[in-house]
Amino acid sequence: MNSMERVLMAMKGGKIDRRPVTLILSLYGARLTSCPLKEYYTNPRAYLEGQLAVIEQCRPDIVFTPFVLTAEGEAFGSEVVYIDRNPPNLKKPAITQAGSISALPEPDIDSHPRLLYIREATRLLAAGCQGKRPVAATLLSPMDLPSLIMGIEGWLDTILFDPENTRLMLDKTVKYFIEWGNTLLADGATFLVIPSVFTNPNILTRKMVKEIVIPVLAEAFQEIKGPLVFHHGSNPIAKFMEIYSSLPNVAGFFLDNRDSFAEARKTIGQGKVLFGNIDGPNLWRLKPETIRTECRKLLEERKDDDHFIIATSATDVAFDTPVENIVAMVETVEEFG
Amino acid sequence: MPELNSTSSDRQKLKELIINADRNQANAFLDSLAVQSSYMEVIHVILEPVLLEIGNMWVKEELSLAQGYVSGKIAEDVFEKTIQAGEFKKERANSKGAVVMGNIEDDYHELGKRMVITFLRAAGWDVYDLGTDVMAEEFVARAIELNAPIIGVSAMMYSTANNVRKVRDEIDAKGLRGKILLATGGAVFNLRPELVHEVGADGTAKSAINSPQLFDRLLGKIK
Repeated sequence: MNSMERVLMAMKGGKIDRRPVTLILSLYGARLTSCPLKEYYTNPRAYLEGQLAVIEQCRPDIVFTPFVLTAEGEAFGSEVVYIDRNPPNLKKPAITQAGSISALPEPDIDSHPRLLYIREATRLLAAGCQGKRPVAATLLSPMDLPSLIMGIEGWLDTILFDPENTRLMLDKTVKYFIEWGNTLLADGATFLVIPSVFTNPNILTRKMVKEIVIPVLAEAFQEIKGPLVFHHGSNPIAKFMEIYSSLPNVAGFFLDNRDSFAEARKTIGQGKVLFGNIDGPNLWRLKPETIRTECRKLLEERKDDDHFIIATSATDVAFDTPVENIVAMVETVEEFG
Repeated sequence: MPELNSTSSDRQKLKELIINADRNQANAFLDSLAVQSSYMEVIHVILEPVLLEIGNMWVKEELSLAQGYVSGKIAEDVFEKTIQAGEFKKERANSKGAVVMGNIEDDYHELGKRMVITFLRAAGWDVYDLGTDVMAEEFVARAIELNAPIIGVSAMMYSTANNVRKVRDEIDAKGLRGKILLATGGAVFNLRPELVHEVGADGTAKSAINSPQLFDRLLGKIK
């Protein structure tokens, strides 16, 4: 089986030759090619070269399009700062007041340079993988994108105290999400990964999640013409799975490294893929042998789960992670079968 | 000034309003109590004990960020009304002193820091907010200038947390270890508590509401 066949079969729950494995190595490609980060996150060919190096040296079964969510904020007028050894960070949101939402310009997906960068990187990566390896495209949920347009506090304040402007913002982000998600699929992404923070009862109240968030996600997700994978963002989600279980087009969930697969599986049932839960950003802290032990333990625990893909959770594997650590994870899975 | 005739049911009511994230009703309720005595009395007798309880629930992950944020907004609202009522000046004689706060170099996420500032001010600290993307040298220079015994440094992400170490180094380079203490916090420190030690901080609080307790504890350690 090649990686595409293996991953798609795991998503269907069919027989596979071995467990699929992936790490979020979007950033890591820059390390492998010694590419300056500004170049890496603005030049699609530089990104492709980095990901081809990732494939050659790390052998993940899934590769990712640029995990540079701030680019979506830039498309709406926010400013970012490029920092050493990390993806760019939000510096200045496009707006700070809810009253400015109505005048917020909507980005043109066919002409905005930041979106064109991601689109071209997606096309090149899909072509480079030749249908043998899935390409996962990351994009923000319509509930989360506003935090990169008006800042976390501005968006939280709006959701809590200004229902009219909340709806106005969500009308814009749902429309954009549908167009952007379908465009990435048309450009060659195999499926979409949706990091989600403002969808979690650790962030909003459970009542708000049920009454505001889930209807918005359902409205947006049902228009996407391909599979979605709901990503935990930075919070555990296993204990809240029943809230997300009815969302349309969701093929699976990335779990937090603190989550219990058993708890998530018990709630969500057998049909959805569960990804994770090796701690990606902290993989650099571990010795390769410790990584092997952790992976074997997880593989053993999930050996009867037909819909399980071992992966790193959270955000990118850190820039300074020794390549031996990454290879240790992949080799352990390859050996385990 | 008349003493507030407060009951545990008043505190329970405020707690429920905060849990329901109902800022307007909470404010109306506290206004009605302040009429009986003063906003300062309301802070001491009702708000502070409830915030302590809310803080403990937050640390135990029984509450969401939104509920913590609303509790901060309510504290901010009452604090403002205390100033407007002219009650705050009388209390300034009891100020705990100056503290310097800011987001570390390359960090632009202010939510957590602003919540901490709200609770510190309500607890009697004179907080000087240096803003975002603050260099280590500026933190320490301003602390010296303001005679602030504590510097509070916020970082939200892994990418910026390590820059907090530069503040530690700057404090030490100036020979001020033990004289100026370093408090740090942010989402990443809750995820990886060992980072607090790694960046050389003297302490952290698991939630913004608990930050006044941390700062009191640090103040007690000053040499």
